[in-house]
Formats: sequence, C-alpha cells, structure tokens
Amino acid sequence: MVGPARARHGGKAVTAFLQVRAIEKRWSEGVTIGPITLDIARGEILALLGPSGSGKTTVLRLLAGFETADGGRIAVASEDVTRVPPARRRFGMVFQHYALFPHLDVGENVGFGLTKSPDRDTSIANALGLVDLSGFERRKVHELSGGQQQRVALARALAPEPRVLLLDEPLSNLDPALRERTRHELREVIKRVGITTVFVTHEQEEAFDLGDRIAVLNQGRLEQAGTPDELYERPANVFVATFVGRANVFRGTAASVLCGGATRNGVVVVRPERLRFVQAGLPGVVRERRYTGAAAFFVVEGDDHERFEVLAEPDAAHVGERVYVEATRVIAL
Amino acid sequence: MTRLRRVDLAAALVTLLLAWLVIYPIVIVGAEASNGAAIRAFVTRPGEWAALWASVWISLVSVILAAAIGIPLAFLFEWFDFPGRKTLGSLIALPVVLPPLVGVIAFLFLYGESGFIARAIQAALHLENAPWRLQGAAAILLVHAYSMYVYFYLFMRAGLAKLDVSMLEAAQALGADRASTLWRVIVPLLRPSLIGAAILTFMTALGSFSAPYIFGGGFRVMTTQIVATKLNGDLPLAMVETVALAIVAIVGLLILRRTEGDDILVALGKGIAPRPRPIRRTGVRRLATVAGWGLAVLLLLPHLTLILVSLVPYGAWTTEILPPVINFENYRRLFSEAERLRPMWNSFWMAAVSTALAVVLALVGGWLVVRRRVALRRAIEGLLALPWALPGTVFAIALATTFSVRAPFALRFVLVGTAVLLPLAYLVRALPLTGRGILASYRQLDPSLEEAAASLGAGRWRTLARVTLPQLRPGLAAGASLALVAGLGDIVASIVLYTYETRPVSIEILSSLRLDETGVAAAFGVVLMIVSAIVLGVGARR
Repeated sequence: MVGPARARHGGKAVTAFLQVRAIEKRWSEGVTIGPITLDIARGEILALLGPSGSGKTTVLRLLAGFETADGGRIAVASEDVTRVPPARRRFGMVFQHYALFPHLDVGENVGFGLTKSPDRDTSIANALGLVDLSGFERRKVHELSGGQQQRVALARALAPEPRVLLLDEPLSNLDPALRERTRHELREVIKRVGITTVFVTHEQEEAFDLGDRIAVLNQGRLEQAGTPDELYERPANVFVATFVGRANVFRGTAASVLCGGATRNGVVVVRPERLRFVQAGLPGVVRERRYTGAAAFFVVEGDDHERFEVLAEPDAAHVGERVYVEATRVIAL
Repeated sequence: MTRLRRVDLAAALVTLLLAWLVIYPIVIVGAEASNGAAIRAFVTRPGEWAALWASVWISLVSVILAAAIGIPLAFLFEWFDFPGRKTLGSLIALPVVLPPLVGVIAFLFLYGESGFIARAIQAALHLENAPWRLQGAAAILLVHAYSMYVYFYLFMRAGLAKLDVSMLEAAQALGADRASTLWRVIVPLLRPSLIGAAILTFMTALGSFSAPYIFGGGFRVMTTQIVATKLNGDLPLAMVETVALAIVAIVGLLILRRTEGDDILVALGKGIAPRPRPIRRTGVRRLATVAGWGLAVLLLLPHLTLILVSLVPYGAWTTEILPPVINFENYRRLFSEAERLRPMWNSFWMAAVSTALAVVLALVGGWLVVRRRVALRRAIEGLLALPWALPGTVFAIALATTFSVRAPFALRFVLVGTAVLLPLAYLVRALPLTGRGILASYRQLDPSLEEAAASLGAGRWRTLARVTLPQLRPGLAAGASLALVAGLGDIVASIVLYTYETRPVSIEILSSLRLDETGVAAAFGVVLMIVSAIVLGVGARR
C-alpha cells in the first residue's frame, strides 16, 4: 500500500511531480500563509491537515490557481504554473459542496470539461463507471444522494484527465456512517487512476486513512510533513504531537521522572498507550475512567495538578485510587 | 372534527370573498362585453388594433431597453468595487419605488418641450421654437426604459449575489474560459432572475398608463384607449377593449412563464457569493467611478428638476433658463387651501384603509394556506396573486361595470359615485403585494416557534401578537409599504373611478397641469415622492 510514492520520498525533491517552492499568500497585515515548500511525488496522495484558519484551504486554492501567490512558485512536471490561470492549469478540483451545476444533468456535468469529440460520450461513461455510477447520465443532480453527488463531482474532475487532483474537505458533507466507506472507495479510485492528489481535511483520521503523506499546517506555517507513522512516532513539535493523535505533554519534574533523567528542554510527549501503571514511578490520583470496550482511558491528576491520560486494561485502576505511572516510550522534543 | 370543519368553513368564506373582489368583476365584464355591436366596432376599427398592437410592441421593446440598461449595471455594481459603489448602488434603484406619475411629470419638466433642457438649448442656440417635442412612442419608451431598468438591475443583482462562487471556479478548473463560463454557467444559473425581471417589466409596461397618457399625444396604447373610450361614454366598447387587454396580459404572462422552466436552479449546498473585485488599473477605475456617478446624476436629475419646479410660483418662470424667483408659495397653497388639502387627505385615507384591509386578508390567507394547509389553499393563493397578472385599467373598468348595478342577490351594489369604490380598487391592486410578502414570510416561519409559545402557555392571541406577527414583520412591512405607496400614487384606477369628492392627488396633479399650474403639480409630486420614500424607508427597516 505504501508503494513507490513513499519509497521515492526518501530521495527528496529530484523526483517530485508537483513542486511547491516557498509559496506565500499575504491576506492582510499579519495574516500570512507560508512560505510553504512541499514536494509531491507522482501518484502520491498528500493530505493538508490543520485546524480551521491554518491556511490549508488557501494552499489548495493556490495550487488550483483561484488565488494568486504573493511569492514562491508552483511547478508540475517541471513546468512552472504559478501564473497559469485555473482554466489552463489542468488541475481537477472537487469542491467542498461539490459545486455541481444544477442546470445540467449528471452526464452534462461530467462532460463539462471535455471538448466536443466523438469519444465524448465514452469518456463520460468511463468516468461515471469509475465512480460506480454507470447509467446515471440523464439523472438530475438534485435527485442524487449526498454520496452520489460527491462521486459525480469526482467523476467530473477526473473526466478531462487532469494532471493533479485537488479535493477540498471531500468527506465533510457526508454523514458519519457514510464517511468511512466513502473514504476507502475514494482512495481506491484515486489509486486506480494513479493521479497525484492533494486534499484538505481537518480530521486526523481522514488524513491517516486517505493520505500517503500528511502535511500539518498551523497558523499559515507548515509544521511537519511526513507519513502517518512519522508524524505519530516522531512529531516535530508539541503542536504536531497533540494535533495528530492523543498525546500527554509533560514538563518540569514530571518530564524528568518519566525520562528517568534530564530532558533536552524540559518537555516530553507520551502517547496514552505508552503509559502504564506500575508500583513506583510518576505518582497521581485517578480522577476519571472512560470505558471504550477493549480498554479504558484513565484520567490521572499528577501531584503538580496537571492531568494526563493513560490507556490501559479496563480494570487496571479505579477512580480515586493512588497510582504510579511509567512511560514505555517517550517523545523528547 | 368540528375544528376541521370550522377551518374549512373559514377557508371557503375567504375564498368566496376574494373571488368576489378579484374574479367576479372580470367575469361580469367578460359577460357584458359579449355584445355584438361593440365587438363588431372593436374588430372593424383600425384604431383599436393599432392600440392593441402598440401595447404589445411597446411592452416588448421596454423589456429589451430595460434589460440593456439594467443588466450591465447589475454586473458593474455587483462584481466591481469602486469609490461610492454602495451609495450609488442603492440610489440608482430609486426610480422604481416612486409613483410612476411622479417620475413621468419629473421627466416632463426636465426633457419635455418646455422642460429645463429644451429651454436651455433653445436659449443657447437662439432657436425660435423648442428643439424637440417629447411625444409619441419614443417618449413613452424613454420613460419606460428609465424607470423599468430597475427591475433588471435589482433581479440580476440578487441573482448574482446568490451565485455560488465555487460554480464559477468549478467551470474554470474544468478549463472553461471567461466567455464560456458566462454562457454555459452564469447565464443558465441566472435565467430565473432574467425571466422574472422580463415578466415584471412586460406586465408593468403593458399596464403603464401615466407615460402614454402624458406623452402619448395621438399615439394610443390600450390603457389610454380604454380610458378615452370610457370618457366618451361608450362603455360597451370600453369593456371589449378591457377584455382584449386582459387576454393579451394573460397570454403574455403564460408565454413568458413557459420559458421559465422548472425552478430547480437553487444551488446545491451553501454558496458563497463572489467578492466584488477592486478595479486595479487607475484609468479604468476612474472611468468606472465617473460613469457610476454620472449615471446616478442622470437618473436622479428628473427628480431634482421636480423639486426645482415646485419652488417656482405660478407665472414667474416664462422664458428664462433658470427660474427668476424661488420660494415656498406652492407648498403654502398646498397646505392652506382646503381644495388642495382635500386630495391629499383623500389619497391618504383611501390608501391607508385599503392597505390595512389587504394586510388583514393576506394574514388570514397566509394562515389558511401555509399553517392550516386547507383544501382551498391553491385557490386562495391564486386569488391573492391574480390582480398582479392584469393591468390596473382592466380592474378599474371591471369594478366600474360590476358596481353600477343594483342586484343584491347577484352581490352587485351601486358603489359608483360613492367613496367606497376607489378604496376597493386600491385593495384589489394591493392584494398581490401584501399577499406575496406575508406568504413568503409565513413559509419561512418555523412552526415550532408557535408551538413553543403554545407549550409555554401562551394563548392563540398572545402567540399571534408576541411570536407570529413579529416574525412576519419584514414581509408584512415590505408588502404593506409597497401597497400604501401604490395607493397613494395611483392614477390608473383613480382616473376611471374618481368623483370630485374622492379625487386623489394624482388626479389633482393632472388638473393642475391642465391649468398650467406646473409649480403646484410639482409640489404635489414632491410631497408624494417624500411620503413614498418615508413609507418605503420605514417598510424596509429590519
């Protein structure tokens, strides 16, 4: 599943299909996105992950050409497209609310980006077949369910055979039950087409599931880019550690106790599943227990009154109990 | 079970009342127009066909001219940013909110043969006569284009504001250039707005009376033809003409409605309108600013002229370019002479009473249609909207015919010559305005608000006063203010139905003009203008 994209990433920029170099957008005094540098390999799926206001949508719109960069450059297959208008950039885009044309039927929507040619109908049929909507050509857009609309939007973006596929929060408009299934279908379609893809999301689970690699953005800056494993196991800073996955941040004495010695700058991060109850270690009192089935989260209040979470067997402790905790793996920052 | 019956009974009564007001007179006129001699006269006289045809083509050309002015303006003001955009944007919508008669006489004072501009040119070039006569079809079209472009302007701006920017971006991402985006995406998405504006302009132009009456000269359209025939005393022929005009109106409406197509063009998902683009190039920017301001001055100039003329006392302004004397003499006369105060009071009470009744009927109708969903809801809604589809002249003749006979069992009474008939006519004309506003508000009103009030112990009247009416207020106020202004400035129905005792302001303006008392006429116009602006300003407040 990792595929050549990930393997190639080790080789860095040389093989990058989509290059983003120090791209920048200045909205107003003090609100600046970037400079951001990213390399995306051919066929790779990159997730832009970040909280709202982090600039991830701006980066996507810069890639699409709907916003003009105030600095830096974007290149596809070594062709500079920084100043190329969206209509001639040949980037496919799936909009957050799909932006299907309500005055056209499904087939006309999918065929919108195709030139008049004898193969047009075949291309439309192929694109619809790809998203499992064969025979939907004459349906009205408003008759479709949310999931079907999403697939039509994907088919429409893919039909003109774009060089890069961009998706803006592709699953945010679907109900949770549908989301996970659609996520897998989406990944399957993208991988079958083999298209280089960038998508925006604010959900870590979605980024992990759909992306080969993830770029974490915060306040207009790129915090870290890497595979899900890298982000989880080796976060570059506290923000990435706490935004990607659950994390306990320890400072001062608690940090040194867990490390069993001095820390580099007084901060360590430990995932809840990397903490366990032992006979002697960092002391605290269990304040809360949240049962999840296979395990339970224990909220422990340390002697410094900072609270942290421990993931352990459901019967490992009870509320009010005095416990000692040690870390099986710490992330020093 | 008994409850249901009571509601249905109420619905039946409301339906009957509305039908009696709105359909019955039309049916009577249709029946009485089936008079062999009158139909023969109508068919054989070329003047009749000419007037009918004139109504049709004047209306169609008005649509084209209004679109040609209104659509570019809408794009300019919605998509581009330049200094003064906001202020100008609302200023140029002004002509539509003023009574047509006021606009027409303002036009007369500015561009008429003895108007401001003609005078200036005559003096500058030392001409013996006025350089032009503002008369006939061209003059009518000029006035129509000037006042009706606002429909296209407002509809298109609303449409553009609702346009989802991601639709445009989607088209671009799929490789469409600007022209192709315009034709394949923007125009189809705006089609409902375009057709809505076209229908409104066509119906307004078809029913237009002031412009052809004042500027027509020998050129007759059907509305002026009907009134002329009626004044000549040939009522049977006037009825045939009325039916002919009604048929044209309905056929026109049906044809235009057919092009509207199904109304599914609401954007899926929430749309974000495109931001107005600031114009970067200084030259273009300066040009847009100058054009915008120039246009606004041009469009408001007639009303400024009206104010100027109203300040010139009788006989003081003869051949000079600028009036030699300016004072408030005309206004003093307006408010001190009983004979001048009378029409103002008449207009006011008749418009107020008819508006109040129209609001009540629309509220009851809205409750029955939206909240109780009675079986007759389609009938009630249709009856409330119907007067909009027919020119005012048609209703004036229909009411004059129906209520000149005493037949209580046929629900006909002699109202001609009483003070009741004009308010009744205003009421009929007001129903679509209050009906549309209140029904739209009612539809947006979440029924759970009323249920919440009820569950908190509020009775029916308390719920109405504390929850329902405040929630309906925007639509109610908008509809009521439009109805009030329409009543205050009405001339179409008034000219057919007024008596000396009940003569409204519009009739007084016409007689002042006839007596060459332009200052008084203008002062009346200014008063109407100011009152209308205040009423609409209050009505539009959120």
